[in-house]
Amino acid sequence: MTQPFLSIQGIEKSYGPIVAVQDVSLDIVKGEFITFLGPSGSGKSTTLYAIAGMLQPTRGDVLLNGRSLLQVPSNKRNIGMVFQRYTLFPHLSVAENVAFPLRVRRWPKAEIGVKVAAMLKLVRLEQMADRMPTQMSGGQQQRVALARALAYDPPILLMDEPLSALDKKLREELQIEIKRIHSETGVTILYVTHDQEEALRLSDRIALFNAGRIEQLGTGHDLYEKPGSRFVAGFIGNSNFLDGRLSWADQTITLPDGTAISSVALDKVAPHQHNVSIMIRSDHFRLHDGHEASPMFQGTVTGTTYLGTYTQISVMTRWGAPLSVQLPPENRVQKGQQITLTCAPSNLRAF
Amino acid sequence: MLLDFDRLGALRTLLSAIAILVGGFLLLPIVVIVLLSFGSSRYMQFPPPAWTLRWYTELFDDADWLVSFATSLEIAIAVAIVATLLGLMASFGLTRGRFPGRETLRALFLTPMVMPVVVLAVALYAFFLRLHLNGTFLGFVIAHVIIALPFAIISISNALEGFDKTIEDAAVLCGASQLEAKIRITLPAIQSGLFGAAIFSFLASWDEVVIAIFMASPDLQTLPVRIFSALRQDLSPVIAAVSTILVAMTMVLMAIAALLRKNKAT
Repeated sequence: MTQPFLSIQGIEKSYGPIVAVQDVSLDIVKGEFITFLGPSGSGKSTTLYAIAGMLQPTRGDVLLNGRSLLQVPSNKRNIGMVFQRYTLFPHLSVAENVAFPLRVRRWPKAEIGVKVAAMLKLVRLEQMADRMPTQMSGGQQQRVALARALAYDPPILLMDEPLSALDKKLREELQIEIKRIHSETGVTILYVTHDQEEALRLSDRIALFNAGRIEQLGTGHDLYEKPGSRFVAGFIGNSNFLDGRLSWADQTITLPDGTAISSVALDKVAPHQHNVSIMIRSDHFRLHDGHEASPMFQGTVTGTTYLGTYTQISVMTRWGAPLSVQLPPENRVQKGQQITLTCAPSNLRAF
Repeated sequence: MLLDFDRLGALRTLLSAIAILVGGFLLLPIVVIVLLSFGSSRYMQFPPPAWTLRWYTELFDDADWLVSFATSLEIAIAVAIVATLLGLMASFGLTRGRFPGRETLRALFLTPMVMPVVVLAVALYAFFLRLHLNGTFLGFVIAHVIIALPFAIISISNALEGFDKTIEDAAVLCGASQLEAKIRITLPAIQSGLFGAAIFSFLASWDEVVIAIFMASPDLQTLPVRIFSALRQDLSPVIAAVSTILVAMTMVLMAIAALLRKNKAT
């Protein structure tokens, strides 16, 4: 039997009657990049803090190589962590910050010097060894924090929304850096974010959190193409939901205006359920050319926004449901125009 | 702002004039004392007919004054150390602790600041009589720590509230024990608050006279107590010289405290 590298088993954390995390279980492979994605308050950070030892879970266990971490105090867990807030030690220089965990571990001085230089090279801040934290930008500070967290070769690196205080451009730059550092060091990373794009870009697998539970665990591709619940479908990607009535006899869904749509994936619909939502991604729509027998959605254009690679169009169906549609810019549509949209039936899912 | 100083017009001149007058009213007696300490007149004639350092020479030749000076210094230093240490521990509890009655406890710690000193002095005197602490160094230090502690707690609590606890957590995850993280990371980060606490505690003891009068014995007198008793015997310019030294030391320490605050702000 192969033992999982890191095994999170039934973690639960409650504060009195309020349950922050319940029954979170997950096995992580060595060297994997796992992201905890979810809205704020969904329990993703709480789970991370339980692994870090900054809070004690009410129930459950965390095993590293088969041994429980929960009885080990935070400072003996040998876990690296980068926080959302800037946590460089304000009175120490960049090099001294990176050296701190090694000094605490009583490494010989010469080895500390070598390691610090190597870590600063890893995060490309060799030139800044003598700077003080206050003289650095937010992005640079987070790089130093990363170097400090990796200096003692921890088996696991925890990252709690490390880029959320940075602007978009810098964030993308650092995402590439993190990806590079992950492949260079081979460290196992548990990354918390509420940014789905960041999660898709970085992770091997994503655990999507909702209301204290893992709603779905899988690759970014899985979550995007095969969402297991309406929440997942709504959280990842730009999704539209149209309410309709399902007839199990002929497996078709009838929209409020009478349009019948067949061959929708029904595997996530409960038996006997008749009121369903059809999910359609904004970017799966195209204009109906009037010939094919594909599903048809008719409506009025209420607004268009040109965004370069695509045009964002707001459409109102005849029964008043709004649709958010992305069309290629060569499809010229105007406000007030009646249009008929379609999409591949395989792109439709009912919940 | 509604009352923007720059937009007050003629009122501005009036306000400036009042501010200068009030400032002058507060400072002038100190200036006069300083001038008198360098004046040649034994009867403290003002303005002084001539200038001399005679009173300072007399002061430094008088063993009694020097002993009082040393006593004051020793007590104030002990108070600064004890109040800062106690203030540090109390501040950790008051800013980080989550327990019922925390705000009440904070208010309790600050009461010596608002309580009439003479009430505190009488109460301590009566209490220390039973413990035989009156007239002892220890009694002095304990009494002065009580009045110094609020200043220390305010100074350290402010610094601690401005320090992100996550930084300490980061140190712990780096492998430092809770105590090690506090000593190596948190304390250096809040050092301006600690120095501020030490300076204000020192000053609270250094120029305190009411409690000191109750605590003093013929063998153990702080400088303010000695000034007070000397005043009752005869009005000598030596007292002006002592006062000047007292004021000078206070000003130096206040300047250091102000510098610390300025450094922290930048």
